[in-house]
Amino acid sequence: MRISLGAVDYVILSLYFVFVLGIGWLLRRRVQSSADFLTSHRSVPVWIASLAFIAANLGAQEVMGMCASGAKYGMMTSHFYWVGAIPAMIFVGVFMMPFYYGSKARSVPEYLKLRFDEKTRALNALTFAVMTLFSSGISMYALGTLFQLLLGWTFTQSVVLSAAIVLVYTLLGGLTSAIYNEVLQFFLIVLGFAPLSILAVEKAGGWSGMSARLPAVMTHSWRYLGSPSENPMGVEAFGMIAGLGFVLSFGYWCTDFLVVQRAMAANSMSAARRTPLIAAFPKMFMPFIVIVPGIAAVALLQAGVGYSLPLKGGHPDYDLALTTLMIQFYPSGMLGVGLTALMASFMSGMAGNVTAFNTVFTYDLYQSYVRPGATDAHYLRVAKITTLVGVVISIATAYLAQQYNNIMDVLQLVFSFVNAPLFATFLLGMFWKRSTGHAAFTGLLAGTTAAALTHGLTVAEGKGGWISVVHTFPSTMAQNFWMAIFAWSTCFVLTIAVSLATVPKAESELRGLVYGFTDIPPEENEPWYRKPGVLAVIVGVAVIILNAIFW
Amino acid sequence: MDDLRVPIGTFFAIVGVILIAMSGAHSPLTEAPVNLYAGLSMLVFGAVMLWLAYRGSRTGVPGSK
Repeated sequence: MRISLGAVDYVILSLYFVFVLGIGWLLRRRVQSSADFLTSHRSVPVWIASLAFIAANLGAQEVMGMCASGAKYGMMTSHFYWVGAIPAMIFVGVFMMPFYYGSKARSVPEYLKLRFDEKTRALNALTFAVMTLFSSGISMYALGTLFQLLLGWTFTQSVVLSAAIVLVYTLLGGLTSAIYNEVLQFFLIVLGFAPLSILAVEKAGGWSGMSARLPAVMTHSWRYLGSPSENPMGVEAFGMIAGLGFVLSFGYWCTDFLVVQRAMAANSMSAARRTPLIAAFPKMFMPFIVIVPGIAAVALLQAGVGYSLPLKGGHPDYDLALTTLMIQFYPSGMLGVGLTALMASFMSGMAGNVTAFNTVFTYDLYQSYVRPGATDAHYLRVAKITTLVGVVISIATAYLAQQYNNIMDVLQLVFSFVNAPLFATFLLGMFWKRSTGHAAFTGLLAGTTAAALTHGLTVAEGKGGWISVVHTFPSTMAQNFWMAIFAWSTCFVLTIAVSLATVPKAESELRGLVYGFTDIPPEENEPWYRKPGVLAVIVGVAVIILNAIFW
Repeated sequence: MDDLRVPIGTFFAIVGVILIAMSGAHSPLTEAPVNLYAGLSMLVFGAVMLWLAYRGSRTGVPGSK
């Protein structure tokens, strides 16, 4: 499957490169200190922070993966947005951002240090730093493989070109440059992929035509969640709500520094709180751009209108649903826009990882353990070197993934063990003044162990069961959801138990860190659209309506 | 750079003009003038962003500062 791009497509791609580098160039004068480079000096307007908040999460693997999931699982994939993102975004905006922002912490691990202790921060910072580099590398690997397949570029050409551009604009303007470019990338992704959704659905006979051609399970999000055997995901409502909607979703949106960093860069506490809430509006409509085309692709295959998908193992390769739709619906010109949008989504994900990594490394590891008390100019220099080193390690990881795909699978699995219990630690840390540092550290380790044990004792689609098999899940998705539930519960219970047996911090040390000891600016005199509570209600009602429409 | 809306607006306005100029191109699966419609949409979007930036610079409404 090869695309032959016209000259105009290359012009659009080149124009995009010129603009992202230009934005970095224009922002270079703003970088005078390490805070400018790593935290944007808390100066970003709310609308920019909001769009960057979702763009950093909108990597190409997400865009292409959600389209493929739409083709495999249908409208149930929307749960990753309407259940697995929006409620957590409401929660972090309304309840958690006052502590992140009010504590003056420069990163999520630093919040853990202020709230708990040094060892809890070190554990979180180390695992996060390694995870972000591997995520960035895996994203580069995906880009290299895809562009090799589509355009015939070599793996090295794709990886080095995209990495070099991200490196240059990040080095020039730091986090501000990454955030500003994420906004351009967000608009490009939306305007580049939205026409595809309209064209594919229209060709498939509209939603009614698609519903007539496809099994009913493909066009409903909740109706077939009564039992795992009723739906292709192999999950039931409880696993979906508790595993995805609570543990995994809140664990990601409320504690992952990659996204939280965008809100922490906002120019006021009010703006930081509104960032995830405003971001929730475009986020809730993303399924219509990334999932619906996948469902339409299956309907088009059955309609026999000339649309085709390459086969893989005798079945349609749904991973290529998005790109095949682009090739067959977009003429030269829009094809260039679509491919540029794909490149933009890779780059926004990569820049998000690199800027989160350099902040955590510089502040939480280097400044804390290697050279505390140095000048700010020194930390700025270290931050820039870290950015360069981070990109180089990401490239090396991409090549490692190319050589040893299984190692990457194992690493991703290990990271999922680490991530699963994290939200329990933050929840107790922010809302229970009695929770202690020893308890948080013990809870995190125990939760990670519980996740590993669940995976080792259960099997799904041939995965897991490396200790013994005591239960078989109908799908790896169900296994992941339940692994997260066990990890979170273990961390939650153990953190409470150890807290009760250890000495808590004095209340005077909890100012700005814990509920009841944090000043939240009054908002009575603010207009309704600046009140987080009002925005949260509007977002909540809108997402309930969407769930009801596609019930 | 004072306002992010300027580069975003300029970028989409240019891409919009390019697509409109390519409105004769067709794809295998649709007869619709995809480039024309998408180009017009991007041109309008770019123009709105530039207008908002211009209005912001005159009235002091913050864009990116």
